[in-house]
Amino acid sequence: MIEVRGLSKTFAGRGGLLGHRAVPALREVDLRLASGGAVSVIGESGCGKTTLGRILCGLESYDSGSLLIEGREAKQMSLAERRERFQRIQLIHQDPYSALNPTRTVRQTMLASLRLRASATNRSKAWTERRAAELLELVGLDPSYCLPRYPHMLSGGMRQRVVIARALTVDPEALVADEAVAMIDVSLRLGILGILRRLRADLGLSLLFITHDVAAARYVGEDGQLYVLYRGQVVEQGPVDEIVQRPTHPYTQCLLSAIPVMRGLERPGPDRLVPLRPLDDNVEPPGCLLADRCPQAQDDCLLGRPPLLPAGAAGHLHACLHPEARSVVAIPEQTASSGR
Amino acid sequence: MRRRPSRAAHLGSGAGDTEEFEGLRVRGLTIVYGTEAGELAAVRQVDLDLQAGTITGLVGESGSGKSTLALAMLNAVPSPGRITAGSVTMSGIGDITRLRGRALREVRGGVLGYVFQASQNSLNPLKRVGAQLLDLARSHGVPQPRLILGEAQRLCERMGLDATRVLSSYQHELSGGMRQRVGIVFALVLNAKVLILDEPTTALDMLSQAAVLQVVREIHAERRLATVVITHDIAVVAEMADRVVVTYAGRIVESGATGDVLRHAAHPYTRALLRSIPRISGDISAAEPLPGRPPDLASIPTVGCVFRARCPLALPICSEVDPATVSVGPGHATACHLAAGPLAVPERTEEVAG
Repeated sequence: MIEVRGLSKTFAGRGGLLGHRAVPALREVDLRLASGGAVSVIGESGCGKTTLGRILCGLESYDSGSLLIEGREAKQMSLAERRERFQRIQLIHQDPYSALNPTRTVRQTMLASLRLRASATNRSKAWTERRAAELLELVGLDPSYCLPRYPHMLSGGMRQRVVIARALTVDPEALVADEAVAMIDVSLRLGILGILRRLRADLGLSLLFITHDVAAARYVGEDGQLYVLYRGQVVEQGPVDEIVQRPTHPYTQCLLSAIPVMRGLERPGPDRLVPLRPLDDNVEPPGCLLADRCPQAQDDCLLGRPPLLPAGAAGHLHACLHPEARSVVAIPEQTASSGR
Repeated sequence: MRRRPSRAAHLGSGAGDTEEFEGLRVRGLTIVYGTEAGELAAVRQVDLDLQAGTITGLVGESGSGKSTLALAMLNAVPSPGRITAGSVTMSGIGDITRLRGRALREVRGGVLGYVFQASQNSLNPLKRVGAQLLDLARSHGVPQPRLILGEAQRLCERMGLDATRVLSSYQHELSGGMRQRVGIVFALVLNAKVLILDEPTTALDMLSQAAVLQVVREIHAERRLATVVITHDIAVVAEMADRVVVTYAGRIVESGATGDVLRHAAHPYTRALLRSIPRISGDISAAEPLPGRPPDLASIPTVGCVFRARCPLALPICSEVDPATVSVGPGHATACHLAAGPLAVPERTEEVAG
């Protein structure tokens, strides 16, 4: 189990437009990823999703709070223990092309880490070859086709599968998928999402799924938790379908309202919300972070920042002074079917 | 600044009505790429109507030739690609594939506005947005280039941008959603009549995507443009397009009004595409991946149906005979042997046009 408590991270401003202003990327985030569980994180660009993922993989430091892996605080681990534990949490990037070495064939990429694995566990060279083929098959690739090829000879979807297979060479316990399907054609996304779903079911991997595609989050972790991040703060969290069907925070409602409606097959939710203006994180308001964009804001929203509180249904939390459940996502048309 | 004969007649009639047609019309367009393996057709025999006042969604996977098709509308297919047959006719201008030199440059960015996929790559990183607009005006022979800054300002404000800030910014100072809107300003500032958007929202998050699509819809309606949105995401098209044109391996396999195509998809590819999208509500397990691999240029069959290798319903005839385009409803056509059953009425190929 991976758990973060009160995690905060602030990036120092780098001058220019930002004018040496500190940018809070995460604000006291609490998150728990159970073994075999799934947590999806949604939010706009620049709201801290990627930073959260990188901290969980040990690639980024944090200012305060704690990161516990199986109950052990990361900052107190020895270097050897850190390496061992963080190796078990693998990151899948958005861009599979830049994640693979273009001068190495898939075989070289896969064997590099499998050899280390083999020597650590006294396995033979034949095992590495076998294992490479096995892992590629696991992600739905034909080993005889892929192994001798370079990344540029594969399609985007195949490359992302290779990246997942490579992550599996170290027998990870958790995957952090950061926009893992954003650059893949919609028609091929489901294949990748299906692999992540299967890895959870068959290997018991836990999954942190960072995305702006809520439907994809629903597909890989229907039974999991959904966290909504806004400017580094968790503004709403709960079981995926509870949040999708009965969101109570206006920010979540804006995000869900923005999902394209398949007109003809679906009709728009009746209570859709649109933010009043685009994100401007140059000002740090004393009150609710969303107040300047929130269509439902009232005077008291400008005063105090609302804490994350239980929202009624089990596990559903929200940080809003005036929460109200709204139906914003598309509703399937009863009469229509996507089939023939 | 672009002038075209003013129009009074509203187009109530169908897309097939030549005299009154206003917009961009593609007929029999074939584009081949010269490769070591010979000349391979990326786009074959495409007919398409982009009518003023209509948003057309052009859907296809990577490698389906949709960007090549879009560039052909500007007669800008990059070498080694070339247009070998067909025409792209703009009302009031003529066949764009026959234009050369100055006349062609004036049409591009003039009457034909093009918004590139990653607009950060289409803006000059060393020049402020305003200076690039002046470049555009000069290259198009606008008599008083400064005047277009006023028009750009109005467009920026119309799209919810702070015009003064945007025009004095470099591209890296703008967010993805803002850059995409700036791309639209560039496309429209010379009074374009046709707006071509190539993957306008691919790199954007949900809220920026929704905002950009909303802006496109509004500007489209205000200026009565002929708009085409090119995307791999059928959901984007379903949200905003009046008509959907589904391409596969450089061919149009289905076209029709958005609601008709979504509700009664006629081509097995369209149906598979719709099934492959995880949806926000309803049974999530109903989503099914599209089997097989998307086609690449070298493996596109030259005879028979291009989708047959991935088609669950393929028949022997599919590998022998090119499927004819048949009507399956008013303004709704598909190129599939199965649709050409006893109930379907064979039509001339023009009817598949978007």
